[in-house]
Amino acid sequence: MSGSAAETLFLVFFGAAAVWFGIVVFRTHSMVRSAIALLFAQTAVGAMFLVMQAEFLGVLQIMMMASEMSIMAIFMVMFMMDPGGLGAMEMTHQKRLSLKAGGAGFAFALGVILLGGWGPAAQEVPAAAAQTAALGRELLGRSMFVFESAGLTILTAMIAATMVAIAPQGEKEG
Amino acid sequence: MTFELVIVLAMAAALFGIGIYGALSQTNLVMIMMGVELILAAALLNLVAFWRYLHPETMAGQMFVLIVMTVMAVEMAVGFGIAVARFRARGSVEVEEARELRG
Amino acid sequence: MTVLAIIAALLAGVWLLAAIEGWAAHGRFSLIRPLAAALALLGRESIVPRKADRLFFEVAPVLLLVAGLLAVAVIPLAPGLIVVDLATGALFVNAALAYVLVALIMAGWGPDGAYAMIGGWRFLGQFIGYSMLVVMPITAVAMRAESLSTVEIVASQADLWNIAYQPLGFVLFVIAAMALAWLPPFDLPAAEGDLAGGIEAEYAGARLLVLRLARMVIVLALAGAVTTFYLGGWLGPWLPSWAWSGLKTLAVASAMLMLGRHLPRIREARFLELCWKAGVPLALVNIFLVGVIALVVPT
Repeated sequence: MSGSAAETLFLVFFGAAAVWFGIVVFRTHSMVRSAIALLFAQTAVGAMFLVMQAEFLGVLQIMMMASEMSIMAIFMVMFMMDPGGLGAMEMTHQKRLSLKAGGAGFAFALGVILLGGWGPAAQEVPAAAAQTAALGRELLGRSMFVFESAGLTILTAMIAATMVAIAPQGEKEG
Repeated sequence: MTFELVIVLAMAAALFGIGIYGALSQTNLVMIMMGVELILAAALLNLVAFWRYLHPETMAGQMFVLIVMTVMAVEMAVGFGIAVARFRARGSVEVEEARELRG
Repeated sequence: MTVLAIIAALLAGVWLLAAIEGWAAHGRFSLIRPLAAALALLGRESIVPRKADRLFFEVAPVLLLVAGLLAVAVIPLAPGLIVVDLATGALFVNAALAYVLVALIMAGWGPDGAYAMIGGWRFLGQFIGYSMLVVMPITAVAMRAESLSTVEIVASQADLWNIAYQPLGFVLFVIAAMALAWLPPFDLPAAEGDLAGGIEAEYAGARLLVLRLARMVIVLALAGAVTTFYLGGWLGPWLPSWAWSGLKTLAVASAMLMLGRHLPRIREARFLELCWKAGVPLALVNIFLVGVIALVVPT
């Protein structure tokens, strides 16, 4: 089946891109580059959603990550000692332990993936428009309570984060 | 054989491993958050792959993805709120300098 | 065939818009001048600043152009005359144009110049203001069309254009679109006289040409989006449908280029305040009203 072969090819391509950009995030010294690399890793993940025919989620992921990671970039510039990475500062600790933990996590997940019996793959996926409509019905029907709690959680987080971040009363803005 | 599913899950596992490495090895709060974002991206990838290859007719799978995206946004908001407060109080967001958290 | 027709329309649109922008800026309408200016830019040396982040510096104008082209791809010119009719087209316009922000931050950071960098970060501040005002009016439009597909959105306006159905959303969306394309009075990232060109300050020659071309494509894409979402797209009597969408898009784009030219520039902090204290509540009111009308008025 040629459609399936193309799908596999695109999945491998975007997956490799996501992993490569993910590695770049922690390899580069320039902080803005690091944030933009994370952005492109997330965009590649969004492209994988599109390949897997989850059109709404893919577009949403690509849209959300552009703004989220750009905001990440400005916080990096604000809070890092050397955002341009010109001094090639060392900014890691317990490197060997982290490498081991990351490798162990990867190996463990890979083992589960290869050993798990996944059963037959589904062939038919609802068309994109039908999917979006069904997702809307799911969100405002059966899963409405969960969805509304998520909305309330994010509102609470917004208010709490603003409260924590604003300058204490009486302090002059520097 | 669900070849595509295994490929996507393997890519997600790799992203997960990189995220763990980043979250544990970086000394800056913002960089640690980037590691966490990668871990969450791996989770998103898993959820979409399970929806696509195992249960494409169940929309609750896609709903779960939206919830994880919300979690990502909440993580960003709270993390940056803490980072700003910490920077205002101590002038740095390096976790090595957060000695008062040491028990 | 469709793609070729759309590319031709796009090139013609960009050329006319450049002429109109020159007319608004210098008071003389000339069709030759944009071409001459483009040729001159091509011939000039394209300087790379010292210690530039070379990767960002090179990628930023191209990314800007790609973002604009992707947004154009889901805008219908006529029934069937569209590059891809995505089921989530209305959201995709916004997703593609979110990368304008990324490109401008890269263009600001890349050249390692103070003015450019301030311009790039200013646009981030501006983005936090306008981004909600792009998405929320689109939500109201999609509610009426009961679809996110741009073709269906145009079809839903056969009886009454959305500009009459939801004027509040139209006003908010046009303001957000002008901020997105950093047109005056929201031209903080490239403020002449304030930042000496801002993000454009360090670009020269062919790279500057790509940057300016990309900006015109973005203006055209946004005007096309306004036409599709609020002005009934290709709908109209007598003329063929492609002529209607072309004329409407050009009219909207010229209005966007000329309207704000005589207003004072808005500082990004003030813009943020306006957007979040006035814009977001108004957008919510708009969504609420459209919902009420959709429920009360039988279709």
